[in-house]
Amino acid sequence: LDVPGPVRVLALLDQLGINRESVLVIRGDTLVTGDVLLGPDDTVEVRPVISGGAA
Amino acid sequence: MKCRRCRAPAVIEVRRHNAGFCRDCFLRHCRDQVARTIADHSMIGAGERVLVAVSGGKDSLALWDLLLDLGYETDGLYVGLGIGEYSDASGSYAREYAAGRGARLVEVDLPTAFGFDIPTGARAARRVPCSACGLSKRHLFNQAAVDGGYDVVATGHNLDDEAAVLFGNVLRWDTAYLGRQLPVLPAGDGFVRKVKPLVRLAERETAAYCVLAGIDYIVEECPMAEGNKHLGYKDALNAIEAQSPGTKAAFYFGFLDRGSSLFTPVAAAERDALSPCVSCGAPTTGEVCAFCKLAARARGE
Repeated sequence: LDVPGPVRVLALLDQLGINRESVLVIRGDTLVTGDVLLGPDDTVEVRPVISGGAA
Repeated sequence: MKCRRCRAPAVIEVRRHNAGFCRDCFLRHCRDQVARTIADHSMIGAGERVLVAVSGGKDSLALWDLLLDLGYETDGLYVGLGIGEYSDASGSYAREYAAGRGARLVEVDLPTAFGFDIPTGARAARRVPCSACGLSKRHLFNQAAVDGGYDVVATGHNLDDEAAVLFGNVLRWDTAYLGRQLPVLPAGDGFVRKVKPLVRLAERETAAYCVLAGIDYIVEECPMAEGNKHLGYKDALNAIEAQSPGTKAAFYFGFLDRGSSLFTPVAAAERDALSPCVSCGAPTTGEVCAFCKLAARARGE
């Protein structure tokens, strides 16, 4: 998914309609916080963290 | 954003603590939270052997890693549930972690040992898959701990899991479940002590711990969990949490502090009525335990 940059992580999640509590945003081998400004050439993984099956 | 502890650039924000952390301080924060939970609830005594229930997912691998780092004598237990490629992949993550840490992984394969898998068992017993799975895992964790002479079974239930289960129990006012929804269930009557040392960490934090500690885990959700009601409860709670950080923790820890004791007599009465299953010897309220009934139905007996 291509999103025009620069864009802050929180704004990106808002654009994608994703609750910030339910994901991590990973750039390279580390995490980025919501205030980080992503550049046009950055690639990030938005990784869901919610798992089900609790019984 | 800066790290609350050392002022280096933060890599994760934990909004309910109104704090950001750099990698090293976050890993330390997680260890501190787990150590505090174990101490506050007297979860693990000196010299006790701990069996960690390991699924290959973020929570259980983070838990095993944290307990090893804290110096506890732990082995892992992986239960193969026969859920196709998902079980194959999750088992690989558990084995790779154990090999990398030089830790011992005990394995029980449900289809090999008991002649059925979770999809078959759920269909035969007309249970939702997560119910058949949870029932089987609870039985097998306890049995493996008894057989192996362990003092404690540790599971990777996190704050989100506990808040979601509490939410569901309150929606139904299920007083027996509310009475035993505790971070420690004591040993006795055929049960090994069960502990949940991750209850002070949200699942976003256990996932972050794995990423930052370099632990590979299975990211994909179990295919059988689609439509699971706890996922709906988590979505609802996260919608509230996004507006009001700290709500999940206040809900769960408020229950432990001010609500759970109201329900423990109900759970205690249920526990007093337990007797050994005539088939396997596990404690049960009936003549035959729920796991043996499930296994018999799944095998068409």
